[in-house]
Amino acid sequence: MNQKLLLPNRFKMIGWTILIPATIAGIILTTTGYEAEWLNAKVLTLFYDEMGIFSDVMIDKFGPFGMIEANITNTLVGVVFLIGGLMVAFSKENHEDEFIANLRLSSLLWSVWVNYILLLIAFLLVYGLAFLHIMIYNMFTILIIFIIRFNYILYKSTKSMADDK
Amino acid sequence: MTNRIKVERAILNLTQEDLANRISVSRQTINAMEANKYVPSTVLALKIARVFNKPVEQIFFLEDED
Repeated sequence: MNQKLLLPNRFKMIGWTILIPATIAGIILTTTGYEAEWLNAKVLTLFYDEMGIFSDVMIDKFGPFGMIEANITNTLVGVVFLIGGLMVAFSKENHEDEFIANLRLSSLLWSVWVNYILLLIAFLLVYGLAFLHIMIYNMFTILIIFIIRFNYILYKSTKSMADDK
Repeated sequence: MTNRIKVERAILNLTQEDLANRISVSRQTINAMEANKYVPSTVLALKIARVFNKPVEQIFFLEDED
């Protein structure tokens, strides 16, 4: 079967080695709000706004495209997490075949459902700044839920295989 | 749909691994099919039939709910 939208298998291992430290760093960053001083940089932005959320961003006006001063700690960790997560989620398995492709699709469907049900609950029950935190996590949860679900089902089918020769 | 892959495999004295290699799929796939947890594509069903040298209807069977 031709899986055009999947990366070669070797990216899976690379993905894990990126994803695990990025997850730990991400949890630390979101809980402590830490920003590394040395990661203050001048960056290109698609849109800058004087009402910017980041207090340490120096902005003189607002409009499309511009160079701004910003702390890129969160940017860096987020980008690394997404790259690692995409590699883990969408690399071919050792032996990619139609059954694995089927598992992959059903896990993707499952994770979209679970993600939006959780978000729906959060919409109804969480307000204010706490909801902002939920939104930050929600940017990554589809990927996380998918990775957990897909690998769990794959593990389960490998395990049942070991029991049954 | 149900199937007699396990029986046919026993007749030819093939392990799940052997069959998996012959039709180039993973062992999980063979295992899932034998457990009736996965319905193979037509391509895969035909490949399996070719290994057992039998028509597909003698390996795969429709059930009432199909």
